[in-house]
Amino acid sequence: MIGKIRRLVLDVLKPMEPNIIEMAKGLSLEEGVVAVNISIAEIDHKVENAKITIEGDNINYERVKAIINDMGGSIHSIDEVVAGKMIIDDAATLQD
Amino acid sequence: MTMEDEESDSNSNSYNHSVRQFVKRANEYNDIANIAVIARRSFGNNAFDGILTMIGVTIGSFTSGVKDPHVVITTGLSTSIAIMISGAWGAYLTESAERKKDLKELGQITLTNLDGSRIGRASRFAAIAVSIVDGLAPFIGAIVVLIPFFLSGFFQNIRFVYYTSMGTALVALFILGIWLGNVAKENLVVYGFKTLLAGVISILIGSMLNGN
Repeated sequence: MIGKIRRLVLDVLKPMEPNIIEMAKGLSLEEGVVAVNISIAEIDHKVENAKITIEGDNINYERVKAIINDMGGSIHSIDEVVAGKMIIDDAATLQD
Repeated sequence: MTMEDEESDSNSNSYNHSVRQFVKRANEYNDIANIAVIARRSFGNNAFDGILTMIGVTIGSFTSGVKDPHVVITTGLSTSIAIMISGAWGAYLTESAERKKDLKELGQITLTNLDGSRIGRASRFAAIAVSIVDGLAPFIGAIVVLIPFFLSGFFQNIRFVYYTSMGTALVALFILGIWLGNVAKENLVVYGFKTLLAGVISILIGSMLNGN
């Protein structure tokens, strides 16, 4: 059985246009995606830094990447990923 | 319903679907590449060019005593086509060069090649759309001034054709001014007279010129 990705948190650098509404709409239409949250962390000249959180029952990372690239964005890092039968948050440790 | 009817219905549905898709895509590209504003600017500027160029052609023919309307039509049409090609060609080259530069700069910031992206497609679409407007606007402006020559059979005297053509050109300039005034949300009549003045000056200077 192939593990299913249920949550992705991405750090993306994207041009101002298409805006995050278009990007959220585009990503939310993707099969296996249930919800999308995009927030802007930083705005620079012509570009903005977006934190994209995607939740679903079977997220296809390659498809997500293709949509982001098609809209001119580039994924700087994958900041969080949750896979499996359910979504869990990172466990607190003594170091936290 | 016969099979032919069903087939034509499905053809018309798929045609409507394609048109809707195209409009949706065009709107999307417009949001990205800001096409409408640039096209509107080009339209105003180039339609103005077309009308004034044709004023030049007709007033030149008038002062040099051309009596045959077909000569004016042929000269006018070839001039209109030349300014259409000039407008479209020049706009395509400059617009695509500028947009390629912007795309490369943006790609350098995001560290991606944006050629195949939606932004790249919007850029190419914008260059084509703007060049079509840049070509058609002066052509339409010029043809409007030529209309009386196409209808010269209804006039007794070629002189009246020239006068009507000049009148049409001035009315077209005034309407263009009103439209620009509407874009600027300023006094429409003042804008109308501003564009009209350019036509009057061209006619006056043109009529003072004489080959002899």
